Amino acid sequence: MPSATLLGQALISGVLAGGMYGLLALGLSLSWGLLRLVNLSHFALAFLAAYLTYEMGTTYHIDPWWSVLVIVPAMFVIGLLQHWVFDRFKVNELASLLITFSFAVILEVAIQLYWTADYRRFETHYSTLSIKVGAFYIPVLELILCLVAGVLAWGTWLWLRKTYVGKALRASAEDAEIAAAYGVDHKKLAYLLSGLGAAYAGVAGTFIALIATLAPAQIWAWLGVVFAVVIIGRLGNPLGALFAGMLIGASESIAMAVLSPAWAPVVSFSVLIVLLLWDPDWS
Amino acid sequence: MLLEARHLHIGYGDAPAVWDVSFDVDAGEIVSIIGPNGAGKTTLINAIAGLLRCRQGELRFDGADMTRVRAHDYCRHGIALVPEGRRLFTKMTVEENLELGCYLSAARSLRAASLDRVYGLFPILRDKRQQPAGELSGGQQQMVAIGRALMARPRIVLFDEPSLGLAPTIVDDMFDIIVRVRDDGAAVLLVEQNVLKALSIADRAYVLEQGRIVTTGQPDELLKQPHIREAYLGV
Repeated sequence: MPSATLLGQALISGVLAGGMYGLLALGLSLSWGLLRLVNLSHFALAFLAAYLTYEMGTTYHIDPWWSVLVIVPAMFVIGLLQHWVFDRFKVNELASLLITFSFAVILEVAIQLYWTADYRRFETHYSTLSIKVGAFYIPVLELILCLVAGVLAWGTWLWLRKTYVGKALRASAEDAEIAAAYGVDHKKLAYLLSGLGAAYAGVAGTFIALIATLAPAQIWAWLGVVFAVVIIGRLGNPLGALFAGMLIGASESIAMAVLSPAWAPVVSFSVLIVLLLWDPDWS
Repeated sequence: MLLEARHLHIGYGDAPAVWDVSFDVDAGEIVSIIGPNGAGKTTLINAIAGLLRCRQGELRFDGADMTRVRAHDYCRHGIALVPEGRRLFTKMTVEENLELGCYLSAARSLRAASLDRVYGLFPILRDKRQQPAGELSGGQQQMVAIGRALMARPRIVLFDEPSLGLAPTIVDDMFDIIVRVRDDGAAVLLVEQNVLKALSIADRAYVLEQGRIVTTGQPDELLKQPHIREAYLGV
């Protein structure tokens, strides 16, 4: 059994790493829950944003805190274009899986053509910075990531609860026809939400560039765990996505510390299965 | 005339469900369309609400040609639907359901007054306003569906089978409410299988059978017709 310090450190690292799961799950959960579109290319978009951050940082020496201001709006536009395809071909839930899978493959190939299959690492002088609190180390970048994810999740949650547009989106998700009968232009709102989801992928991508090592095939690395996070957090629930991300991150990290790193991939789906069977009433 | 339907053909797929239907609703009127199950009543009312496209014919509301209007703009013209089976947003609270009714800007600016009016009409909804609408009883859900329509400040309210699945005592309350909606200034188009009730509050009525209007008139005239007495009243 590892020491209390090690367990505590594992818990902190896990929760912080889970912030990335939550941030990636956020956009996926919104489009799945509210538009019934399962966007497998969400990860590819995040990696495209990560590579763009890397490119701007290494080739043009633009700090990520500045490049994010360009990348996120660009991703928003890509989200709109992607939704145009969904809209044009009246894509349903199942077809969206196939189409976004092909988007993801195309993006993967495009990334590989331009940046090659080599591993890329965006080195910054602050990438390994951490603060020491008592016996524990808290990595600064991951902490910032969690704060950003928290603000986005909380803000999105409020937006869906408190504004007319948010309520209209939730209503449309349940009965689009009746929502339209009360004046909701679902098509317009769907574009907005798709753009927003892609913009969140852009935010996630900036942090991926700073924290992770980039390779085109990494697009698929988080697919399983983030899907589990989206389902555990309940579809269309931004705060649920964040908390579920942190729960899975912490469980993985503790499993790695107590058992062995090989156990980590088993954890997320075990938690998912347990929660689906138990079905706690959280929402 | 507030609402004018002329030679409407409406349907799904290849087979029209409603043939060559014409009728009017004037301001301040309750007009009932009665008919047996499967006659096309819901199809007809859904088309008036903009949920379905008419394949042929004219639909005018206050002079505007509604066949060219997009589904989400029907409400802007002053048409509000209380759909069959209520179709509430079950996971959202009662108040959120009502607020969806005043989604459009004109109605939204009257939100507070409209909410007061709906809660005045249905005091129980004020107590339950933070509950998910899906947890309410059938009668209370029907109140939310009517309240949602009133929040839109409509000039005509379309009621589709408002008595369906409700306890008899609550059915009477619902019909009283429909009369109040009319008395408060909106026209009412009511589609019902409960023929006696529908005729008792109507100013005029149409009988729809197998997708066609077979007869029309004032309720007391219709009640004298042998066909109506036989087919709907069993006498």
